[in-house]
Amino acid sequence: MNFDNLKSAVAAAAALRGLTEYELYYMSDSSTSVETLKDEISSFSSGVSGGICFRCLFRGKMGYASTELMEESEMEALVDRAVENAEATEKEDTVGIFAGSPSYERTNAPTFAPMNAADLKALALSIQAENYKASEKVADGTQSYAMSAGVNVRLVNSHGLDLSNAYGLNVVYSEAVVRDGDNSENNFEFEEVKDGFDAAAFAKKAVLGAEEMLGAGTVASGKYDMVISADAMTSLLSAFSSVFSAKNAQLGLSMLAGKEGEKIAADIVNITDDPMREGLPAQTFFDAEGVAARRKSVVEAGVLKTLLHNRETAEKAGVESTGNASKGGYSAPVAISPYAFFIEPGETSEKELLALAGNGIFIKGFSGLHAGADAVTGDFSLQSEGFVLEGGKKTRAVKTFTVAGNFYNLLKDIAAVGNRTEHGVPGGLTVFGAPAVLVRGMSVAGKDND
Amino acid sequence: MLEKKLTEEILGVALSTGADFAEIYCELTRNGGIRLLDGKIDSISDNTVSGVGIRAFLGTRTVYGSTSDISREGLLRCAASVAAAMGDGKEERSIKLTERIFPNIHPVKIVPSAADMKFKTDLLREGCAAAKDYDEKIVQVIGNLITVDHTIQIANSDGLFTSDRHIRTRMAIAATASDGHENQTGFSGPGRGMGLEVFDLFPPREIGKEAARIAMVNLSAGYCPAGEMTVAIENGFGGVIFHEACGHSLEATSVGTGTSQMCGKLGQKVANEKVTAVDDGTIPGAWGSVNIDDEGHPTQRNVLIENGVLKNYMIDRLGSRRMGMPMTGNSRRQDYGFEPTSRMTNTFIENGPDKNEDIIASIEYGLYARSMGGGSVNPLTGAFNFSVSEGYIVRNGKICEPVRGATLIGTGTQILQDIDMVGQNCATGQGMCGSSSGSVPTDVGQPLIRVSKITVGGR
Repeated sequence: MNFDNLKSAVAAAAALRGLTEYELYYMSDSSTSVETLKDEISSFSSGVSGGICFRCLFRGKMGYASTELMEESEMEALVDRAVENAEATEKEDTVGIFAGSPSYERTNAPTFAPMNAADLKALALSIQAENYKASEKVADGTQSYAMSAGVNVRLVNSHGLDLSNAYGLNVVYSEAVVRDGDNSENNFEFEEVKDGFDAAAFAKKAVLGAEEMLGAGTVASGKYDMVISADAMTSLLSAFSSVFSAKNAQLGLSMLAGKEGEKIAADIVNITDDPMREGLPAQTFFDAEGVAARRKSVVEAGVLKTLLHNRETAEKAGVESTGNASKGGYSAPVAISPYAFFIEPGETSEKELLALAGNGIFIKGFSGLHAGADAVTGDFSLQSEGFVLEGGKKTRAVKTFTVAGNFYNLLKDIAAVGNRTEHGVPGGLTVFGAPAVLVRGMSVAGKDND
Repeated sequence: MLEKKLTEEILGVALSTGADFAEIYCELTRNGGIRLLDGKIDSISDNTVSGVGIRAFLGTRTVYGSTSDISREGLLRCAASVAAAMGDGKEERSIKLTERIFPNIHPVKIVPSAADMKFKTDLLREGCAAAKDYDEKIVQVIGNLITVDHTIQIANSDGLFTSDRHIRTRMAIAATASDGHENQTGFSGPGRGMGLEVFDLFPPREIGKEAARIAMVNLSAGYCPAGEMTVAIENGFGGVIFHEACGHSLEATSVGTGTSQMCGKLGQKVANEKVTAVDDGTIPGAWGSVNIDDEGHPTQRNVLIENGVLKNYMIDRLGSRRMGMPMTGNSRRQDYGFEPTSRMTNTFIENGPDKNEDIIASIEYGLYARSMGGGSVNPLTGAFNFSVSEGYIVRNGKICEPVRGATLIGTGTQILQDIDMVGQNCATGQGMCGSSSGSVPTDVGQPLIRVSKITVGGR
């Protein structure tokens, strides 16, 4: 595939149909991954794929068509399909194709150097060996993975805008299985591979995370003060992140609609969104419409400063786009997504958080966020695991209980914010992060006293 | 699709360093999506997915390569990279492919990609209008008409050379109700492995009305109380309980690696004797049905649990090698970018001996879960969760006030024993199931069932 030839073919087809505003969005990704089972490589896979999306303004409507068949002969049909789809679309397009921002910042991530197959194999095997070394309770079924994945994006349009970006990630995963008699537990950890990566420490974290849950009991239903771990808070933020989308607000699907400038969280809560957050590998300087991407404060001292906008929602709200237009893959229509979306750290250490909670529950993790969290209402009721806290100390592991609440209320009820953030597995350019937080009086459903 | 001769050549390359088996999966998929918002056609998506996945086996070791570059050079490069990752042996293997055509048991009458655009947008408009007109408190309706036209070709070093075409259609409507203070949502999204004739079975206005009805019920509902309760779970998507609590633990993906709570339990009683559970990919036109799985193996009806006794697992080729058991036609993948693994197709609990009215009448105090949302499970521990999207308190054998925000949690081995009444109105619901080989369409199903005791997450 020669992109410039495709571009010319598209330009010729567009000119024939009298199209003056159009965009070609190309995305390709390549990945290599290795999986181990017992002491062997059990699976190796590599893939390359790429596709292009053509969108055009036709009689005031935006039409889309996309394909992975990237041959010049396909381009005419691609343009025709987009025109046909524009004809059937009823929504008036209010913003058209973007001419370009006055300036673009530079990303600060180092150039991505993909790991080769041999290094990935060696790395996965060394983590797997360390898993087995970490504890006698480690059982077969334990797996280690190493993966290298890179993405290339190019956006060209009829205004002459031509932007490109590349990013990637070398990452390892460990799924440790531990067994003690009839009891089994597993735990999943991931880490980006950088200089100084310590396979033994990584494996140990994965194994200890499983081991500490062996023999977990349950808790009685009731109200508890809680420390929600950085991991668990990150997953909760991720599940409710769509409430910060201006599109959802404008559709009546977010309770944050019209709340800019108002208090929506406790004073100690600060949330930022940053396409170039220091230390993160997946960065961009332009969004899916070609608008310059930039860092913004979303919540400052509990006050909502802005929702996340693309050009369409910004135009409707009478503000500037925040550069958050996104495409969930080359073929997706323009939507809105955060970049590195973080609750910023506060000043309380984890030990102090536990002491502040006194007697209560430490939430290690939530499960089933795609089902048990409703972003429209803010309500959640989530399967949880963690530890009972007595006198500010973790005394015993507990699982098979739920924590229920409302995300909007929880933001206001955060009583203390931890001083260390963690982040989740990045999905494209989006990654969520949060520190541990203290929240009082959360509802728990567990065992009832018969 | 690929020529036979080129396919033979590619397989030869993939096998050239000592693999004992090689396979090629070639795909051409047309995904169509029409989205209606605020009463208008908001966007139309129209995407062609095209690529190839090549896999080689040596015992239980696999190497997988995929590419969207389907030129001869691109394919040979992909096969060579698979061979290089497999080993450094050198052997010449010539493969002779024989074309096989499997019967199409899911005929389609109206192919979506060939249908008039206005015909499709009118269907969606009808559904969304019915939701909006249901009540003045319905403030937002989002409708999606999703069509998939999926052609695959599979060849392997055993000589198989076959292809299949699978079409599926779904309309999903989400309605939001508001009383000015808070919002509640309702969802309805039936689909089938059929063309647009599916809407003769599911008139769009009924889909819209159902979404709006659930949103309105939830708007009037208080929070569900928390604690352990007896719960009656309705048919259709209620079957997600079996899918999560047990289905994933019966996939070779977890059984074959020894990470399932169901390992080594064949022939043992794992559920209440009223429970018979089946995975059946052959049901004509069902959402999770296909003629052949993604390794070219015909789908079949697999009885997983019969009268409470574990009878079988769901097994793909790798699982078959790991477990020493036959394949069951359950190998699936989202697209060529994913190495396939064992997945569910249409999985359901069969009708049982209890009358539905007796099930409700038997509950002194508990929860009636009329419709369910999604859930998830950890196959190792069997710990599962799923959300109730429409629920009611049952008092003295009568269904009473609606409650919202409930989640049911437990462990698979326990809940299978605790399903102590099984009704007689088995029906299915449609879902997209996510796992290591991506997102695939699956049906879940059951009749009304009673679970004697389960933790209900509420407040």
